[in-house]
Order: sequence, then structure tokens, then C-alpha cells
Amino acid sequence: AAAAAAAGGLRRAGWRLWRGRAVVRCQLAPPHRALQASAVLRRVSDEQKEPVTSSSQQQFDSHPTDHQPEQEPQGPRPSYTGQGGQESEDYESEEQLQHRILTAALEFVPEHGWTAEAIAEGAKTLGLSVAAAGMFHSDGSELILHFVSQCNTKLSELLEQEQKLVQLGEAEKKPTDQFLRDAVEARLRMLIPYIEKWPQALSILLLPHNIPSSLNLLTSMIDDIWHYAGDQSTDFNWYTRRAVLTGIYNTTELVMMQDSSPDFEDTWRFLENRVADAMNMGNTADQVQSTGEAVVQGLMGAAVTVSNAETSRAVR
Amino acid sequence: APAAAVSLRRCSTRVTLEGVNRSVIDRIIRVDHAGEYGANRIYAGQMAVLGRSSVGPIIQQMWNQEKDHLKKFNELMVAYRVRPTVLLPFWNVAGFVLGAGSALLGRKGAMACTVAVEESISDHYNSQIRTLMEEDPEKYKELLQIIKQFRDDEREHHDIGLEHDAEAAPAYSVLKTAIQLGCKAAIFLSERI
Repeated sequence: AAAAAAAGGLRRAGWRLWRGRAVVRCQLAPPHRALQASAVLRRVSDEQKEPVTSSSQQQFDSHPTDHQPEQEPQGPRPSYTGQGGQESEDYESEEQLQHRILTAALEFVPEHGWTAEAIAEGAKTLGLSVAAAGMFHSDGSELILHFVSQCNTKLSELLEQEQKLVQLGEAEKKPTDQFLRDAVEARLRMLIPYIEKWPQALSILLLPHNIPSSLNLLTSMIDDIWHYAGDQSTDFNWYTRRAVLTGIYNTTELVMMQDSSPDFEDTWRFLENRVADAMNMGNTADQVQSTGEAVVQGLMGAAVTVSNAETSRAVR
Repeated sequence: APAAAVSLRRCSTRVTLEGVNRSVIDRIIRVDHAGEYGANRIYAGQMAVLGRSSVGPIIQQMWNQEKDHLKKFNELMVAYRVRPTVLLPFWNVAGFVLGAGSALLGRKGAMACTVAVEESISDHYNSQIRTLMEEDPEKYKELLQIIKQFRDDEREHHDIGLEHDAEAAPAYSVLKTAIQLGCKAAIFLSERI
């Protein structure tokens, strides 16, 4: 037991030493940056815990209640703030902290854009050091991805609620084109508060290192919309439907960037037209197929008639 | 990459069906659906050539069972929100060509094809059953039941094929090996793409 205590003591001492060096070693490779930066802001937030000004104390008074639901460590992932939790009281996982900072940062996006400044401002409102922005990549990628992810979750919840209402019989089931239009409009409306800076976000999302994540978020959002629209296709239609809707969504988003009409009514009219086109395309495909089948049957009939005529002529 | 420093939930909108191991279940359902679809097309090809022969009714009966299997997997695919394989149009044609091609070698050729394919499929189902048992037999009880039932059906088809002189088919071992190799490739691709 003594050995364990000694080992524990040594480990803690080593941790303090490591954190002391954290401030010095700021130029490490990015994966280490997260650890160093979070250690730095832990120290700063520890220091800020002493009553300095009444305003900061007020902020910290509200923190314990914020942190209550986040006390438990999340899952098997080894969180490096775990050992820091032995010293500071407001323990939460690094991922949750980052989510909180990014959510707070969104308020500052209309002013600062999708940048580290917005993240720094967000961190400040949470009572953390502006060095917290160092946890994230300098081009604001994580902030944008976080925002997109949040919007997609909100859309899912909205569609889930609508579905519940229909199942309970409290609402009418919408026809497919209406459903798609409403879902895309609801999702695009979430961009309105950030519309000035959204073109910047789009270009950042197209950077090579962001494409896997942004594509993933886009495809799962489109899949969600089709799922709630009642799509049950299990053949190649699964792909064509999603491809068509992705096209509609992307083009409508771009139109929205350029739109200056009141409440974006030009955009919604554009959306309505594109969805109608898509529906017509489906109908046209069916028509082409049935026409094709009719033509083939006609040809077969003609061939049989001719061969019968030949046979009867040969017999005579 | 720097973006890896922040672990965001990338797939934010996918509904996790209460702790289901998505990567495993996705693959299983996708490949099984593709397999049943392919089997359907193989029997369709065989019927197109041998429909009016003496083995026609037997092939029809096996085909009907495959149709039921496919229907079941269509339902599972929607329930678990799994995407179908992109290669479906390709399996559509390839299956029909394999069925018709083997049937053109005669009845025994068709039966040999059946034996080869059904053996591949039942081995494949067996390994899936093993995977699911290792994961969590309780959680995947329904799926396990379905796969076990289907494995037994495929085994039965395999035995029917042997009863109808599959082994007397021209170049039986070569045919069987070639078809089974094709099945392995199809399984590998359908799981991933």
C-alpha cells in the first residue's frame, strides 16, 4: 500500500512537472498542442478560481451547476484531463469542453467570421483563457464542422417530431415533394444568422483535409431527409434519390448566398422548381420505360406475324 | 492531421439503433442482400433456359425460396437503414449470365452451379453467425435466427443440387472452383462497396 501511495505521489509530481513545462513547449506538433493547450487553460482556470473580481466569481458560481451533468467521464476513451480532475473540481472530458467552446464561439461568428478570434471570444465568455483557441486548427475548420453537425442534429430532431405528430394522427402526411421542400428549407434557414460569412465557410469545407468530414455530414443529412420522407428503396434508386437531393440542396445553398430578396423568397421558389423537376424526372423515366416496353412488344408481334405469314406461304 | 485533435461526431445524424455495432451489421446486411439478389438472378437465368425441362419445377421451387429471402433482407435493410451495394446493377447482369450460362451446359451444369453457389453462401452465413455470436448473441437474436434459417435453406438447395447429379456435370471441379472464386470476390466487394 505504501508503494502504491509512493507511486501515486510520484505520478502526481510528474504530472505537475509536465504541466509546468507545457507553457514552455508551445511549438510542438499539433496533436500535442491539444494536450498542452488544455493543460495551460486548466492552470489558468485553476488560477482564476481564486476570487479576483466579483464578475469572474459570478461566472464561476454558475459553473458548478453547468458542470453537474458533465461530471462523469465519457466512455473508454482515455481523457488526458482525467488526472487533472484530481486537482480541479470542474471535471469534464476534453471533447465536451471543446464542444462548449465552439458552441459559445458561434455567437461571435457574424462579427469575426469563422476564425480563431471567434473561438477566442467564445472561450472568454466561458471564463476560459483566450489561449483555448490554440486547441483548434487556425482556419476555423472545427468551428464550421461543429456548426454543421449541430444544424444536422437540429434537423433530425425536427423531422423526428414531425413524424411523431403524423403517427399520432395530429398532422397530415405530406406528399414527397412538399416534404423535401420543407426539410431543405428548414435546414437552409439555419444558415440565415451566419449568411454573411457562409461563403467563407463553404470554401473552408472544400479544403482537402476537411472533405471527408464535410462529405460525411452532408451524406448523412441527405440520408436522414430521405429516411423521414419514407424512402424504402433497396436498389439503385437508393443512390439516384440521394444524388438528386444532394444536387438540389447544394444548388439551392449557392443560390441562397446570392439572394437578396425579402426573406429569401427567390431561393424558396428556386427550390420548389428544382424539386418539381426531380419529381418530373422520375415520372419521365417511368414513361420512357413503358414506352420502350410497348415498342418491344409491338416489334415482337410484328416478327411473329411475319414469320407466321412466311410459314403459311411456305406450306402453300 | 490538426483536425484530428478535435474529435467531433462526424456522423451526427445517423440514428444509432440502441448500441448496434453499425459497421458489423451494415456489412452483414449489405452483403446478404446482394447475395440473395444475385441468387435470384442466377435462378432466373437457369429458368430462362431450363424452365420447360424436367428440372424446371425444382429450380422454380428453389427460386421461390430465394425470393422470400430477398424480401426479408429488403425489410431488414430498411429497418437497420443500411445502404445497398453500388454493384447491384452489375450483379443483376452477372447473376443472370451465370445462371443461363451454366444452364446451357445442360441440367447437370445448372445443378453444379447451384451446388457451388449454395456451398459458398452457406459457408458465408456460417462465418456471419460466428461473428454475431462473438459480438452479442442476445442483442442480435432476431438476426441470428433469420441467418440460421436461411443457412439451412441454402444447405438444402446444395443437397438438392447434389441429388440431381451435379457432380456428373462437364468439368465439374473446374466449374465449381471458378464459380466459388467468383462468389468470394462478389462477397468481398459487396461488403465494402
